[in-house]
Amino acid sequence: MTMTQDDRPTLKIAGAIEFSPAPEGHPVDIRPHQGHFIDGMFVEGAEEGRFQTIDPATARPLATVAAATAQEIDAAVKAARKAQQGVWGRMSGAERGKFLYRIARRLQERAREFAVLETMDNGKPIRETRDVDVPLAAQHFFYYAGWADKLGYAVPGRTPHPVGVAAQVIPWNFPLLMLSWKIAPALACGNTVVLKPSETTPLSAMRFAQILQEVGLPPGVVNLVNGPGATGALLVGHEGVDKVAFTGSTGVGRHIMRTVAGTKKKLTLELGGKSAHIVYRDAALTQAVEGVIDGIFFNQGHVCCAGSRLLLEASIADEFVERLKIRMQSLRIGNPLDKNTDVGAINSAAQLQRIQHYMDIAEQEGAGIWQGAACPAPSEGFFHLPTLLTGVQQSDTVVREEIFGPVLTVLTFRTPEEAVAKANDSEYGLAAGVWTEKTAKLFGTAHALNAGVVWANGYNLFDPASPFGGVRHSGFGREGGIAGLWPYLEAR
Amino acid sequence: MSRLGIHKTLKMYVGGSFIRSESGRVIAHHSTAGDVMYVPRASRKDLRNTLEIARKAQPGWGGRTPYNKGQILYRIAEMLEDRAGAFPAPKAQVTTAVDRAVHHAGWSDKIVAVLSSINPVSSGHVNYAHLRPVGVVMVLPSAQDGLLGLVEAICAPLLMGNSVIVMVPTELSEVAGALSEVLAVSDVPAGVVNLLMGDVPSVMDTADLLDDLDTLVVGPGTLSPERLTASEQAAARTMRRVIRAPSAEAPTDAMGLGRLAEVQTVWMASGGPGVTSGGGGY
Repeated sequence: MTMTQDDRPTLKIAGAIEFSPAPEGHPVDIRPHQGHFIDGMFVEGAEEGRFQTIDPATARPLATVAAATAQEIDAAVKAARKAQQGVWGRMSGAERGKFLYRIARRLQERAREFAVLETMDNGKPIRETRDVDVPLAAQHFFYYAGWADKLGYAVPGRTPHPVGVAAQVIPWNFPLLMLSWKIAPALACGNTVVLKPSETTPLSAMRFAQILQEVGLPPGVVNLVNGPGATGALLVGHEGVDKVAFTGSTGVGRHIMRTVAGTKKKLTLELGGKSAHIVYRDAALTQAVEGVIDGIFFNQGHVCCAGSRLLLEASIADEFVERLKIRMQSLRIGNPLDKNTDVGAINSAAQLQRIQHYMDIAEQEGAGIWQGAACPAPSEGFFHLPTLLTGVQQSDTVVREEIFGPVLTVLTFRTPEEAVAKANDSEYGLAAGVWTEKTAKLFGTAHALNAGVVWANGYNLFDPASPFGGVRHSGFGREGGIAGLWPYLEAR
Repeated sequence: MSRLGIHKTLKMYVGGSFIRSESGRVIAHHSTAGDVMYVPRASRKDLRNTLEIARKAQPGWGGRTPYNKGQILYRIAEMLEDRAGAFPAPKAQVTTAVDRAVHHAGWSDKIVAVLSSINPVSSGHVNYAHLRPVGVVMVLPSAQDGLLGLVEAICAPLLMGNSVIVMVPTELSEVAGALSEVLAVSDVPAGVVNLLMGDVPSVMDTADLLDDLDTLVVGPGTLSPERLTASEQAAARTMRRVIRAPSAEAPTDAMGLGRLAEVQTVWMASGGPGVTSGGGGY
């Protein structure tokens, strides 16, 4: 990995304000042995295959976690089926909604605890878990709670029915938030679920199960099974499952789609992306710099919709890149539990290796590599400095493939047509951003982008009322909003 | 002495032209009049060419105003009605098909309003979810659905702004030929609707290998379960959407039409708190 600093501009305010450490001082207790949550009960799980979940900021283990056996997965699916047919599917929408409201309230009450736990297990800054992940997760339950008794309005001309048992597999980048995206709409629609958290971030889901017990959710309505990808494969392949929902890589999504082929299982996939971020010369440049920084460095770039392909109008490219470099030098990288931290830890050694692999490719492809932050990265744990790749081509690997890290490629364009053509020249189609103060150009570009989500003069905004999901290789189906109900309803 | 009649050569309809298969291969089939007719047998190359044509035609069609699309769909109904007496199908079937085209013509400037939403987000944004076409749609109508199935196969994807490739079952070749002539005079731009004929499973072997097809709509009974599974597995390569369609007896309803589109969510900064960006708000 190279770090060229020759052209590094001097930041006049750097060091002008010294930050004192501001760590979150009340760590949470973590049960050293984690198992599964099946039929309303915590089960210890098998010793064979037990694995560790670590704090990526220190590389130290937090707990050991059991890998679910085929019997345990079967028990979870059967518990979900029994609960769906016996209780949850028969309950009135209004009553189901009240359970979801209770869950939302409990999440709000225990927000600090969840934020700290999530930051410890994931490595993302406490500021993000505190201000984004946990509040949005609670809001997601609150939002879908209100839909539970209004489902008829979501499927015009048809009558809504639950699908049945949903198998849900979620990634490590937003563990609790992705759990809420999966569970809240499923439950609102009268389905029951078996969810598998990521093997590197299972802790917030297991703590969430405590909330389910606290609110008195009937046993079997939500079941959690832990384990690696093989556990997920067993779950989605289980014949007792009616609906599969997966968020993760396009490669795994493809595999799941092949598994589900020929069955009656409904499927939604929220997969990878290589989202374009277009900045026109007539954009509000100061805000656009903030948006681009948010777009790629939020959550260390571990965001499926990260704005990882910056497209700059040629006439402002040099100036904009200089502004980005200056801004990057004020990003504080380090202890995720410190409230001043902007860029936390990469979630795992494997992910850090993957990013470094792409850095090697960038070097081979002749990219200009520039890295910067307000402070050096910690020596322990897994960290990667915010990175710019300049002088790249549309055909380069680092421009076409998802890196899933704090790495931004920079390309230029001269006309709106060229910007749209370059943005759409991707197998993916998850998200895109566009910045201009010219209204017609803003709408025109936004609607021409072949992406499921477009942010116009903003980036990386999420809301439970707003449908999220991709086109083409980024998957299909939506989460959030009215469209987020459709995958969980059998509308006849 | 009675006059010797003229038999019509059956052709496929691709890119606004009536063509034979480039392979020169045909399938012998009996016309409604009892004569032997030779149905063109679409080859791999025919499908590849058609896909290329449909892809090129889609943006222009998708970019037309909903009102214009509705008028063109209505024009299909007019032309079909006009030919009802001469159609190689019972008149009742033709009039049902005409009424179906009229039904769908009325959707084009309404469906987006029914399935879109303004989303009340908790920040200073106008957030809306609207519909965009999926792109190129290939439809396998069921032979049992007759002319109505063909009209449904064409109109539903068309009104959503997609270009269409219909794989006509051999039983419907003759009526599909007549329908092509309707399409040719209905102001449907060349390449937006294409009808291929021949052996459906063998064409699907090729379709499964092509990357540039966005959605596959499979009518009931058109593929064996094994063949359908193979196509669904192949779809995973490009995340192609595969829709198992019901019988065409009832028109594709609003929710069904929604599956022939992609929901696009747009966040427009509109002032108020926290407008510039999201994420961590650095």
